[in-house]
Amino acid sequence: MNREFFKKYKSIIGLILFSIIISIFNKDFLTVNNILNILRQTSINSIIAAGMTFVVLTGGIDLSVGSILAFSGAVCISMVSAGFSVFLAVIVALIIGSIIGILNGIFISKGKLQPFIATLATMTIVRGATLVFTDGRPITSGGSKGAQAFRNIGAGYFLKIPIPIYIMVIVFLLSYYLLKHMKFGRYVYSLGGNEEATKLSGINVDKVKIFVYGISGFLAALAGIVMTSRLSSAQPNAGVGYELDAIASVVLGGTSLTGGVGSVLGTIVGALIIGIINNALNLMNVSSYYQTMVKGIVILLAVLLDRKND
Amino acid sequence: MKMRKMLSVLLIGILVIGIISGCSNSEEKPATTDEPNKETGDNKDVKIGLVVSTLNNPFFVTMKEAAEEKAKELGYEIIVLDSQDDPGKEISNVEDLITKKVSVILINPTDSDAVANAVTAANDADIPVITLDRVANGGEVATHIASDNVAGGEMAGKFIIEQLEGKGKVVEIEGIPGASAAIDRGEGFNKAIKETDIEVVAKQPADFNRTKGLEVMENILQSHAEIDAIFAHNDEMALGALEAVKGAGKNIVVVGFDATDDAVKSVENGEMAATVAQQPEKIGALGVEAAEKVVKGEKVEEFIPVDLKLITE
Amino acid sequence: MDDIILEMNGITKKFPGVKALDNVNFHLYKGNVMALIGENGAGKSTLMKILSGVYPKDKGKIILHEKEVNFDTPKEAQDAGIAIIHQELNLVPYLSIGENIFLGREPSKKFGKVDWNKLYIESEEYLNKLGMKLNSRKLVKDLSIAEQQMVEIAKALSIDAKIIIMDEPTDSLTDKETENLFRVINELRESGKSIVYISHRLQEVFQICDSITVLRDGQFIGEELVEDITEDEIIEMMVGRKLDEQFPRIDSKLGDTVLEVKNLSNEYISNISFNLLKGEILGISGLMGSGRTELAKTIYGTIESSSGDIYIYGKKADIKSEKDAIEQGITYVSEDRKGEGLVLNLPVLENMTISSLKCFVNNFGHINKELEKKIAEEYINKLSIKTPSINQLIKNLSGGNQQKVSIAKSLMSEPKILILDEPTRGVDVGAKKEIYDLINEFKSHGMSIIMISSDIPEILGISDRVLVMHEGEISGEISIEEASQEKIMKYAVGIKEME
Repeated sequence: MNREFFKKYKSIIGLILFSIIISIFNKDFLTVNNILNILRQTSINSIIAAGMTFVVLTGGIDLSVGSILAFSGAVCISMVSAGFSVFLAVIVALIIGSIIGILNGIFISKGKLQPFIATLATMTIVRGATLVFTDGRPITSGGSKGAQAFRNIGAGYFLKIPIPIYIMVIVFLLSYYLLKHMKFGRYVYSLGGNEEATKLSGINVDKVKIFVYGISGFLAALAGIVMTSRLSSAQPNAGVGYELDAIASVVLGGTSLTGGVGSVLGTIVGALIIGIINNALNLMNVSSYYQTMVKGIVILLAVLLDRKND
Repeated sequence: MKMRKMLSVLLIGILVIGIISGCSNSEEKPATTDEPNKETGDNKDVKIGLVVSTLNNPFFVTMKEAAEEKAKELGYEIIVLDSQDDPGKEISNVEDLITKKVSVILINPTDSDAVANAVTAANDADIPVITLDRVANGGEVATHIASDNVAGGEMAGKFIIEQLEGKGKVVEIEGIPGASAAIDRGEGFNKAIKETDIEVVAKQPADFNRTKGLEVMENILQSHAEIDAIFAHNDEMALGALEAVKGAGKNIVVVGFDATDDAVKSVENGEMAATVAQQPEKIGALGVEAAEKVVKGEKVEEFIPVDLKLITE
Repeated sequence: MDDIILEMNGITKKFPGVKALDNVNFHLYKGNVMALIGENGAGKSTLMKILSGVYPKDKGKIILHEKEVNFDTPKEAQDAGIAIIHQELNLVPYLSIGENIFLGREPSKKFGKVDWNKLYIESEEYLNKLGMKLNSRKLVKDLSIAEQQMVEIAKALSIDAKIIIMDEPTDSLTDKETENLFRVINELRESGKSIVYISHRLQEVFQICDSITVLRDGQFIGEELVEDITEDEIIEMMVGRKLDEQFPRIDSKLGDTVLEVKNLSNEYISNISFNLLKGEILGISGLMGSGRTELAKTIYGTIESSSGDIYIYGKKADIKSEKDAIEQGITYVSEDRKGEGLVLNLPVLENMTISSLKCFVNNFGHINKELEKKIAEEYINKLSIKTPSINQLIKNLSGGNQQKVSIAKSLMSEPKILILDEPTRGVDVGAKKEIYDLINEFKSHGMSIIMISSDIPEILGISDRVLVMHEGEISGEISIEEASQEKIMKYAVGIKEME
């Protein structure tokens, strides 16, 4: 087999090998139930990471996703518990996430702020807004009429497969299509590769950036809805540190933090690797103190080896 | 080239496995070597899952250690998972335990509401659930084991009344909003001081966290010059608040809750006035004992209260 | 000739899918300037990268001072006394001159403390040797390109290099700066250094070099003494055939006014007015920094204009961005291919179609990849772009082919007005001719072209009319019949009255 093949699919090959090794050590790992379990647990991080992929491909970064997740989740569930229809609550939450993302994009493109700084600021502001909105207390859907329907989004099943998995798959298919087959995707790669050349090619790069951060915000809100529904409860401090898991997934998937190179398929593999690490270590009854360490070491090694082989 | 790539992937795998087997062995060894060989042999097939809200808090570490001790004594395998105060991680932990097909799950919830879906998931898998320290507002629970927090709050309130001779200004530092311990301790405390001349001049949450306790108290001290006593919903926050009090050079009666090692030392040194001793080791041990009963199909009480005691100098 | 100090024999180097060098020989003599020439892609850079330890060779021997050597890293080559001065200079902008010269080799006192005094004094000594009076504490970012080049040469002297490789050193220099560089090269030669001089400019080879090595398509064609050879013979060696006329001007009937610029001004240009006819090639000449590129970018909407108007076919055009310009039928091919023209990490195809994707998408933004590929391949054939595949990354193409992709990108948006900024910079003789032929072809199809160039023969060769700029203003307009090198230079340096 040729080198190109390995280069292209190395992360998937790594994932498979990794899974095989774990399954040798633990019989509960490679079961249908556990695979569905891992996919469901991965869904929240991977939905965020899909959005993060767009941002990182343009050479940016979005630190505000965890806060957007908490805020939109809180808004969504408070609407459900106030008796609004679940559909309306979800739409409003998605719109809020998108607007925060679009604001990020505007600060970065029109305001010429560095993505790190701009999204660090919105991360803090939105977290504060969440605390104000929730009064620092968890919000539950309680016994409202929409509570059960809402719970299905994150905790329900369709054809014996958890619904978050469907949501994740749809998000990735759409992201893939958007990046590989649409004009917009082309602009994302081009912008990340050389912003000046892209601008001189007659492309409104500001618009592309605003859109990209909008997508990230939208998907963070979607993840927030799934998360809130899974718990039937919105926590004011939900999603703290989630941006780092998302960034780690993107980087594990081979997307360059300098932009222009990478793919959303890599990201899903990256997210799965992180999900599998968490799950496998739990199944093997490894102390949680070691778990965090292992996660860090795997990320470091994977990225290091990737660099070396390029 | 491709050899190198394969090699690198393998290397990661081996390294991870190395770490995993290295540390899981060290944890399992005691359970297998000095097996006490209790009455029946089928104890080995019984696996107990314990999901702890956070292992960043000595209270829960003590509880976890006692549970492990008890399980060892009874000859059960126990799997301990840490939710790191993230309800999302908590539900994943419960799902992993379901996959692992444990016989019973002990949950110490991060949040009483957010844990409900995790409890339901276990219910759906026909695995009994026991809650520790915090209740679950949903799902079916075999039993709940916790200190009688309302009584503890009252105990603290009465102590403060005594110290201040029935009159003064008090600050109440609350735990994570919505957590049952915070609600109950606050309720007991406020019930005790209701009919007295003691006034709560400030009331703010510090999430059971020492750093936050310090910050919150520092802020309160900025706006309230005269404070006679502080009641914190746990020792971590009380110790944080104590630092703030020391920093401001004041003399204030500080009462905490939980009687962690640090807090007891502080009381012995005459810094903190008192702490209400919860007995986390009892919660952990009773939890495992209840688990045994549940697995064996014996009857358990709906609520198993654990005594409290006030520790003063 | 004198003692041979370096021999590279039978050097072969393969890259995936390409044999970059095939059994190449290269010799260098003490106190001698050797020109290394060949078209882009001929293998000059690869050969020098092997010599300087950047690439490993597949086959062949390197004999330095009669000993066989092998450099695995640039550091090893440097330690052996080989210094390379790249076309894109390798200096750290925010460090001082002295720090750059001694980067990684800072003189130190006890306990590793850097001896700053020594560093700055020695740096200035090296610069003095090169006839440069510069404060070595100045930051490199504040230096001109020519000065930066001198810093690189000083750095080479500081490591006591015996062999100095210069890759296209005069590319961004003014005539006066070039003269100074040649003086320095002469001094280096007299002090016994050997110099490898890579250039496209044959006049320079005759001016400064002693001998010449020609490569073509990765093969060694020959080594000659400069005094024994003519320019035509060199070109023949380079391209493998006789070149016809370099500048095949075609006369065509000029049509109506397509573009009219009236009193255009901003912080870079003032009061620019001119018009452009259908099927006309308007050459814009002037020194670097005279505002030529800024004028082009103002018309193209990249730089905002503070006053003045642009009319296209007599209609006032409102151009606020590059996108507006393209929609109005104007495109611009940047002088800086790598910085502004191309996305180096993307394939040829995606670079070509980025400006004109709207032609290949449906209402939902879905790209019709088959159509895209078909059209791109048409352009690749039309412009005879040499690439193994349309999916090849653009960074793997030679300069001439990159330039053609840049032009193809512009053409695909079907412009009426094409602005070319230094279209043949960094492009070799053979490819230059092809680009001129293309420009002429566009012209004969009625396209109007503005060509900005520092190369005066080129301007004279294919323009129908010449504008000369000086300090942001048009200092002269000359019809091609009256134009001459001297006239253009006079306007370029700001002498307005000619009578």
